[in-house]
Amino acid sequence: MLQVIEPGPLLTIQDAGRPGLGRLGVPRSGACDAWGLGVANLLVGAAPGSAALEVTFGGCVLEALEATAVGLGGADLGAERDDGVRLPSGTAHRIPAGARIRFTGAVHGMRAYVALAGGIAIGTWMGSASTFAIGRLGFEDGRPLRPGDRLVARRPGDLDAVGGTWPSRLAPHPAEWTGPLGIVPGPDLDAAPDDALAGVASATWLVSTSSDRMGLRLDGPSLGSGREIVSHPLVPGAVQLPADGRPIVMLVDGPTIGGYPVLGVVPTVDLPRLGQLRPGDEIGFQVERPEAARGRLRDQQAAFDRGAAALRADAVWVRLAAGAGG
Amino acid sequence: MAERIGIGRARVEPFGDAALLVVLGEHVDRAVNDRVHRLAFGLDLRAARMPGLGVPVPAYASVLVPFDPSVLAEDAVRGVIADALRAAGEAVAAKEPAAAPEPVTAADPGPVTHVPVRYGGADGADLAEVAVRTGLSEDDVVRLHAGAEYRVFCVGFVPGFPYLGMLPEELALPRRSTPRLRVPAGSVAIAGRQTGIYPSDTPGGWHVIGRTDLSAWDPHRDPPALLEPGARVRFVPA
Repeated sequence: MLQVIEPGPLLTIQDAGRPGLGRLGVPRSGACDAWGLGVANLLVGAAPGSAALEVTFGGCVLEALEATAVGLGGADLGAERDDGVRLPSGTAHRIPAGARIRFTGAVHGMRAYVALAGGIAIGTWMGSASTFAIGRLGFEDGRPLRPGDRLVARRPGDLDAVGGTWPSRLAPHPAEWTGPLGIVPGPDLDAAPDDALAGVASATWLVSTSSDRMGLRLDGPSLGSGREIVSHPLVPGAVQLPADGRPIVMLVDGPTIGGYPVLGVVPTVDLPRLGQLRPGDEIGFQVERPEAARGRLRDQQAAFDRGAAALRADAVWVRLAAGAGG
Repeated sequence: MAERIGIGRARVEPFGDAALLVVLGEHVDRAVNDRVHRLAFGLDLRAARMPGLGVPVPAYASVLVPFDPSVLAEDAVRGVIADALRAAGEAVAAKEPAAAPEPVTAADPGPVTHVPVRYGGADGADLAEVAVRTGLSEDDVVRLHAGAEYRVFCVGFVPGFPYLGMLPEELALPRRSTPRLRVPAGSVAIAGRQTGIYPSDTPGGWHVIGRTDLSAWDPHRDPPALLEPGARVRFVPA
């Protein structure tokens, strides 16, 4: 069992989200970085989409009230045990009773995931444990976690499978690729200034400080303003052009319907990278056809599956060794 | 560039790698929205029995069709959309015989939901300004707003926010030039030919003319959304 000592800027419970409710205005929510969530969960024997903690940037402190197995995925936010032992992303650890985990600040990325054995034991709201404050969905009407909140593992006694390490060389985090993000041309280019899409692809963009789980605002050259369109649905990754001419990229908690022209959509394969961008990061875009983006997604899924298989094989040996030792 | 593959009056556009957007019109229009809901209903039925096909999201004049590209090919999804368009009675370009339209249960609007509203005063801070800008008396604004029957064109932006139309033309105003940072939950507001009910405290740029005690979104209620797409609504001065 973990207790929140300090939440940091934003600490929430997230899982794979609640797709399929867009018609009611409910966004998918869930982990901003599904890859990182999956890694953290697999490290402690939970299904990849299980509920875990999403830690934002630095400042979060958690205490183990009893010996607790934790898996870490996503960004490396400088996590360490209070005795100074580093807890890198992609590793699992047994935290003894009374010990604390401290996130000292970003080494890279924006969001880390802390998983418990079998997943965090928590109910679901409209099919998901994910916190979404505006919809009052998730733990305690969708409020972020605060000091004193306690998280319980589904299998609290399972402390053995914590020797594994995510095979990062076999299955590197998508955010390690620093080239341009893909952008699939959108449906509203007629309503945008000429060359707006080319403008997105040719400029270097700075992620603005007014970015959150709803969307990333980008600072850079103004692309000019488009005309208002008949509002249509949005998805995570949609790149809207608001009146000030600077694009906004929708994230997992973003609005389900919007009235600004959508210049393009960042494909599924690049969403984990989007979820790890932090204010001040520089990014670029490259126009991509949907087929090409799907090809990259297949490769990414295959890499994740290879990583998961290697981790499973590893876990067998860890368990055998633990059994032989006991 | 976006592919422009039309099926009758519909345009099917890529929307990223994992969705297609079916555009049925370019205006906020009741007839177009009827077609939107018929199509969404048909696609919803198909999604229930086709692995990888997501639940469609209807808006004013378009329907988003999400799919899992690791399960379904885009061509298969386009096929399902073409099939649903035909079944919904949409004109099809090819010389195929028109199929009999499916029963339009989804577009059957059902009973009218009556929404009691306290107009003006602290509950409707913009009522006086709306009256001045439309050249009407406050009573006339209320009479016109409460006199029309509305349809939920779509639900979105935030959970449970109903986009209602058509607001009588006499009340049509552009949005506020400066959006409010916080519009309280329950606020009844107007903009253009639309009116809506704020389900939660959010920023908002519409003109607030009243407030209701009905909650447009309550996650503890079943169903959580007071109004679903296609529903009929009347406002009643409280």
